[in-house]
Amino acid sequence: MAARNKRVRTPWFSYALVAIGGVVMALPFLDMLFSSFKGPGEYGVLPYHFLPEDFTWSNYSAAFDQLQLGRLFMNSVIVTVVVTVSVLITSAMAGYALAKLRFRGRDVIFRFILATMMLPPFLLLIPDFLIMVNWPLVGGNNILGQGGDGGMTTNIVSLMLPFLVSGFGIFLMRQFMVSVPNEMLEAARIDGAGEWRLFYNIVLPQAKPVAITLGLITFVGQWNDYIWTSLIASTNSDLMTLPVGIQLLQSFIDPNRTMPIVMAGIVISTIPVLIIFLFFQKYYVRGVMLSGMK
Amino acid sequence: MTGMYASATREATSQLGQTELSAPSKTRSRRFRREGRAGYLFLAPSLLFFLIFLILPSFFAIFLSLSQWGGYDLTQIKFIGVENYSDILNFNSTFLSPILVNTLVFAAMSVVLAVAGSLLVAQCIERLKFQGFWRFLYFLPVVATVVAIGNVWKMMYQPSGLINGLLNALHINSIGFLSDPKIALPSVAVVQAWASIGAAVLILTAGIKSIDRTVYEAAEIDGANSWQTFWGITLPLLRPSLVFVFITQVIAGLQSFALIIVMTKDGGPVNSTNVAAFEMYQQAFKFGAWGTASAMAMVLFVIIFIITLIQLWVSRRSGDDD
Repeated sequence: MAARNKRVRTPWFSYALVAIGGVVMALPFLDMLFSSFKGPGEYGVLPYHFLPEDFTWSNYSAAFDQLQLGRLFMNSVIVTVVVTVSVLITSAMAGYALAKLRFRGRDVIFRFILATMMLPPFLLLIPDFLIMVNWPLVGGNNILGQGGDGGMTTNIVSLMLPFLVSGFGIFLMRQFMVSVPNEMLEAARIDGAGEWRLFYNIVLPQAKPVAITLGLITFVGQWNDYIWTSLIASTNSDLMTLPVGIQLLQSFIDPNRTMPIVMAGIVISTIPVLIIFLFFQKYYVRGVMLSGMK
Repeated sequence: MTGMYASATREATSQLGQTELSAPSKTRSRRFRREGRAGYLFLAPSLLFFLIFLILPSFFAIFLSLSQWGGYDLTQIKFIGVENYSDILNFNSTFLSPILVNTLVFAAMSVVLAVAGSLLVAQCIERLKFQGFWRFLYFLPVVATVVAIGNVWKMMYQPSGLINGLLNALHINSIGFLSDPKIALPSVAVVQAWASIGAAVLILTAGIKSIDRTVYEAAEIDGANSWQTFWGITLPLLRPSLVFVFITQVIAGLQSFALIIVMTKDGGPVNSTNVAAFEMYQQAFKFGAWGTASAMAMVLFVIIFIITLIQLWVSRRSGDDD
């Protein structure tokens, strides 16, 4: 039996299939990278060339110039960092309460949070947008949310608001924190520690792995968000983030080499996420397994 | 995201009440009060958020779908009952055909491609060396933005792009992937499948790994070939993971429209790539028809909700952890 198991055949068919599939997965990224280096006369002409023959960095400088990548980058960083930090804090706090504290209505609240995950994002798009426009006392609105010119949508805060709390995040944290031993908490309580100390000094340090996973998913998801951000920023280029700016500012760039410049912008906007993914692949993969997203 | 509801509730209900401890009765009520206060405080930010951005908008969405309204002046809202629904759900409406039909076709095509592709790859990948590298390759699109994916594929689909370049090299005439109304929807569905295959490969690989090795050994002793092993063992034992991947992909396919915005701008040519969520978006933010758009959102939501319930039912019945 053992001898039979040791017989190793090279699985040629499997190699061939996975490799062909791998080429299909990689080709678009290579085409994107190579196109970003193509010279002025090289794009949109026949016959098609895969590799740039007139190698140039000029598309990158044009991207910084004409797409204003610097500003887009700043907006992306601000929005993504605020949302990620907020999701981590609120999820950890709510998760702790639902996992370790006993109070009336806890189970009802937990079921409610599970139910929130069943609402698809497109359903709330219109009402959330109208709430932003009619937000009281912002952007020229009166106390009833009327009369202003755009209300909250004129402010970068509106890009973050609908993402500050995540039902999935709370669920993830709660499931993890349930496994923290009660004896540990009881001992600290007897020593006179308050609930905040228990949370901050005992539960939070143990939740580090799940916090990294949640942080990564939130970061990548927010960095890449398109629908909501483009909705808010479509009339206000000051609020555009990287993906939104690259998409919506296309008509303002040099028409002879629109795509090479767009590709250069995309390469730059993908780099931060790629670096994070390379370093934390394990955590990110676990998160995707848990959520089945995308 | 919606897909995990099933396993979530199941686990959760089995865990409820586990934290009950016996505390000395004297201090119990004081302790409970302290914990209760802390509990509500810890939950307060999240609950306030859900009130403003979830509960309020949900009711607002239902109300809007029963009203006629344009612009932003709240005093102009007019309640009109189910008129929006009867406008979009009759045989003359473009919402049913082609838009809702497009939506179902788009979801079905991308799901079949993604599930079949990921099943093949997952089955093959675990026999290979450098598994990490292969998985990384398939997973790349999952972390890329829809703007990157959409623009690259749009570029590759152009007459002067990579794919037609390859076809021309093989002496095949160029295809108008995004300009031919018959081909545009499948062209976008391929991209949707391409982008989601990595996550599916991951989940299916994990599913395959969790299958008991001794079952395979027994099959080998009985002389089963790899084809028979796949159909007789892998596929049936993989069912929970497969169902999970299938349903989550269907739900994602039914509501995705960012890719369509990026690749086709307006759901064209001639509405051939227009899907329900995109039509809702256009009705709302291009034409300002809040009521019509909200009714469309409700119809799509009901379809997705039914599919979610089916998933709940299937995974409860199978009783396995998916």
